[in-house]
Amino acid sequence: MSSLINIKGSREGLRLQLDETVALGDILEALKSQLEGGSQFFNGARVVVDVGERTLIGDDLTAVLELMRQHGLQADALVSSSRESRTAARSAGLAARPVARALSEADERNEASFIQRTVRSGQVVRYQGHITILGDVNPGAEIVAGGSIIVWGRVRGTVHAGALGNREAVICAIDLQPTQIRIADLIARSPDGPGERGPLIARIVGDQISVGSWEAKR
Amino acid sequence: MSRVITITSGKGGVGKTTSTANLGTALAMQGAKVAVVDADIGLRNLDVVMGLENRIVYDLVDVIEGRCRLRQALIKDKHFPDLCLLPAAQTRDKDAVSVDDMIALAHQLRTEFDYVLIDSPAGIEAGFRNAIAGADEVVIITTPEVSAVRDADRIVGLVEAFEKSHPRLVINRIKPRMVSRGDMMSVEDVLQILAIDLIGVVPDDEQIVTATNRGEVAVLDRASRAGRAFIDIARRLGGEEVPFASLDEPQGLMDRFFGMFGRRSTR
Repeated sequence: MSSLINIKGSREGLRLQLDETVALGDILEALKSQLEGGSQFFNGARVVVDVGERTLIGDDLTAVLELMRQHGLQADALVSSSRESRTAARSAGLAARPVARALSEADERNEASFIQRTVRSGQVVRYQGHITILGDVNPGAEIVAGGSIIVWGRVRGTVHAGALGNREAVICAIDLQPTQIRIADLIARSPDGPGERGPLIARIVGDQISVGSWEAKR
Repeated sequence: MSRVITITSGKGGVGKTTSTANLGTALAMQGAKVAVVDADIGLRNLDVVMGLENRIVYDLVDVIEGRCRLRQALIKDKHFPDLCLLPAAQTRDKDAVSVDDMIALAHQLRTEFDYVLIDSPAGIEAGFRNAIAGADEVVIITTPEVSAVRDADRIVGLVEAFEKSHPRLVINRIKPRMVSRGDMMSVEDVLQILAIDLIGVVPDDEQIVTATNRGEVAVLDRASRAGRAFIDIARRLGGEEVPFASLDEPQGLMDRFFGMFGRRSTR
């Protein structure tokens, strides 16, 4: 994980924080490797780009947006303390806001998002930390977490833990019968026919996703 | 208080139009003033199911574009003068109507009717969004099939996102024999996934097909099991507590006997 690029969750969704001190070339380089590394996580996501003190206008802005677009990432808004940046962003069709940064720099990757509802077909829950769901994940729904996923309910949709590359991430649920299960860069699909019932936990063992009963893994 | 209720499903062919026609008629039978609106612009159907096709002069798009007054476009039902149909346009498509148009139309209908039932097109695009725009409530129709339930689940999510009140569910075309053999999803299986309030279960009934083809609705046929299920749903919509009928196969002769005397067996 590059320190030049920071991914955070916020009320408005994902926030991509770009270091404001180094040359833009380095940022683009770091962003590129970040996006390639976590392509599963970013594909289809909408983000707020936070450039801090940096003035990002003209070709530089275009370059950043184009790089994101190539990786399926759409910028909704630009946060910058520079007025020129905000004007440039608006004319590129983005929303723009001045910097209002909370200074708590706690390790946000260890934070969890708590969701209390049924996640239904066509809905996507995406968070850079862990995701806890109190409810069902229905077929056709997608859960994508940078960290682990815990579901107090039935999982029938697609779940992807460690989507930013964390192979230590786990997925557990009271009833785990996902359409597809992904951890980091590995993919497994559920066996055809009825699977094992009861609380299960999925994690990477060796180079494979291994699903076992909750009891056995304790 | 008049209510605007949209009937929708996501998947096509699960019985939205038939349900709208039957619920509209059943509510009118109970003495309510009802308007049924065909919001499937370009694929006009509701008029055919209700046997009113040959009376259409103006349609929904004519009203919205100001070519006629609302009154002129409303078609009175053959059986119930308090039941009116606002037909869809046949020759236009959904782009002819906007969300604001539909909200305005729903408001206008609300002043004259107790119930406004809107028959939504299939899908989740503009036509569906138009159909639910003016609604207070949403009734989702599904059949006990995996694909229909999947689409209904998507619709529930969208309806919630549009901040409508909790949608209610009708499970249509259930075949009790197949369910008891384990060959069809049961009511419980469907509810386990969708987790919304059930307002009715309609058994599969071949008479619906023949009735529909004649332009007659099932609720008028007292022998029709599906028709009776729709009458129950209409009563539940009206706020009555109606127990759910058992899904066992009809009792045959006795059932028809009661039907002849215009009495519904207590279920």
